[in-house]
Amino acid sequence: MFKKWLSRYTGNRNRGINPKGFHVSQIKFYVLLIPLSVIMLLPILFIFSSAFKPPDELFAFPPRFFVINPTLKNFTDLFAKLSTSGIPVSRYLFNSIMITLVTVIASIMVSSMAAYALSKKKFKLKQTLFAINNIALMFVPIAVTIPRFLVIERLNLLDTFWVHILPVLAMPVGLFLMKQFMDGVPDEVIEAAQIDGASDWYIYRGIILPMIRPALATIAILTFQAAWNNAEISTLYINDESLRTLAFYLGTLTSTTAGANTVAGQGIAAAAALIMFLPNLIIFIFLQGQVMSTMSHSGLK
Amino acid sequence: MTTSNPTIRRAVPVRREISLRMREALHGYAFILIWVVGFALFAAIPLYETFQYSLNQVSVTTGSIELSFVEWANYSRAILTDPNFIELLIGYTIETLVSVPIVLIFAMVVAMLLNFDFKFKGLFRVIFFLPIVITSGPVIKELTAQGAASAPGIADVPAVIDFLEQLPRALRSPTEYLLTSFVLILWFSGVQILIYLSSLQKVDQSIYEAAAIDGASGWATFWKITLPSLSTATVLNAVYTIVTLSHFSENKVIQYIYAQTYDIQGGIGYASAMAFIYLAVMILLLGIVYFFLSHWARRGSR
Repeated sequence: MFKKWLSRYTGNRNRGINPKGFHVSQIKFYVLLIPLSVIMLLPILFIFSSAFKPPDELFAFPPRFFVINPTLKNFTDLFAKLSTSGIPVSRYLFNSIMITLVTVIASIMVSSMAAYALSKKKFKLKQTLFAINNIALMFVPIAVTIPRFLVIERLNLLDTFWVHILPVLAMPVGLFLMKQFMDGVPDEVIEAAQIDGASDWYIYRGIILPMIRPALATIAILTFQAAWNNAEISTLYINDESLRTLAFYLGTLTSTTAGANTVAGQGIAAAAALIMFLPNLIIFIFLQGQVMSTMSHSGLK
Repeated sequence: MTTSNPTIRRAVPVRREISLRMREALHGYAFILIWVVGFALFAAIPLYETFQYSLNQVSVTTGSIELSFVEWANYSRAILTDPNFIELLIGYTIETLVSVPIVLIFAMVVAMLLNFDFKFKGLFRVIFFLPIVITSGPVIKELTAQGAASAPGIADVPAVIDFLEQLPRALRSPTEYLLTSFVLILWFSGVQILIYLSSLQKVDQSIYEAAAIDGASGWATFWKITLPSLSTATVLNAVYTIVTLSHFSENKVIQYIYAQTYDIQGGIGYASAMAFIYLAVMILLLGIVYFFLSHWARRGSR
């Protein structure tokens, strides 16, 4: 039962990516790919292993990769800290979940619609808008922090729930990637739909979006991470403690200003990093099936 | 009554017809409208104000921000007198120029391998896509904090020191960077592998069949068919790589600009000017890479 559920939702089932048999001639691929995939997996192993390291191993020099005497002390320290918090931790958790959920859905809608217009529609400002987006894509985000603060202040968004969501909706990277993927959808498909009388909205919802599912899933993963890990907005635009996010809260626990000493702080930081990282990994596992299986089959020859 | 003449009732007031092209454009604007509003408010306007700051001496007092116009003084200070900024910029340029080809080649090779048929291919695809959750967020921060993202030990091995000293001066720091951060560079190639893979799958298989019938070797097929059909993806990947590398939160230039923003000696105006110089360098880098790649793409498609 569980296995069936898992394979259904994680995209684990065989969608025809994997050939059925194994043949000796395939060995050369493994020889090349296994060492490389170990490199790719190292950071994940590292984050798990360092969360269980006792202090002397965390500060060992040269740093050791794997934990030798695993301990749960970092976690008990962390939870002890959580229970002394003035505001219940569930409040931060709820904020983070809500904000992340709304941000991911809304930002995918906004940028995919914009990408559809930029990629498949013809209008005057098209090139200009895309060029401006590309410049914004390259601009250092921290440099615009202060003017952005002023804009947010003028809009009366300080200390509201929306300040977490609205500024990150227009994500230049998302628009950029999605437009490039949509450029790969052949115009013939859209023309055929138009001849059959499909409306713009139908073409966007029913044709374009399903065809760029891998891009959507990729952007969803990227946006999720940006939103989930965002502590900056809580620091800059929020004064009301009950509107801040989990990322911010865990950050304060581990910084030295919170009265924690650095040695214990490092251990708590490692445990907190693992806890913050797990949702990213889970989302990744759920969405990668989308990315991998439906990789742009245009159905047009 | 009018029932005697139904056509009169049905007559519609003359509507101003809009042309098909106009309607197409209107639909386009409708789809992009929300994005434009959000983008203007939270990106374009702040960007413009930052540019104004960069031309001013900005002092923040309680409740207000005072500007005094200094023309290009912030820029000339960053370029001519700041001891660190230019050095950091040069370091960044070298690192980017070293990393981009590595990421591109690595991603291309892995994508081609993953496009072959073998068992557990799906699993390997997932593993190589994993870096997408590594390079942003807490993982990379933890890794760099622990010193695991680079291998500084390598640069201290006597053989490596000897080797580095043999090299001409100009090649020394790129090579050192390459040796110490090779693994880190590979972690930046998740999305790029995906983009290559998706454009590899779009290549028409019958072209390969035709080439095979004509007796083309695998080597020739790669150079004549695979590589040219990846040219668009390569340009896209190059842009994406440069952008992610330069926005990477552990990037030294960014950290310097950030530190200067809240520094008494620096200030907002100065940091804004540096941000714009950084932007200019980035655009220049993109221009260089784009020029070479599109030149190569045109030659390839001929």
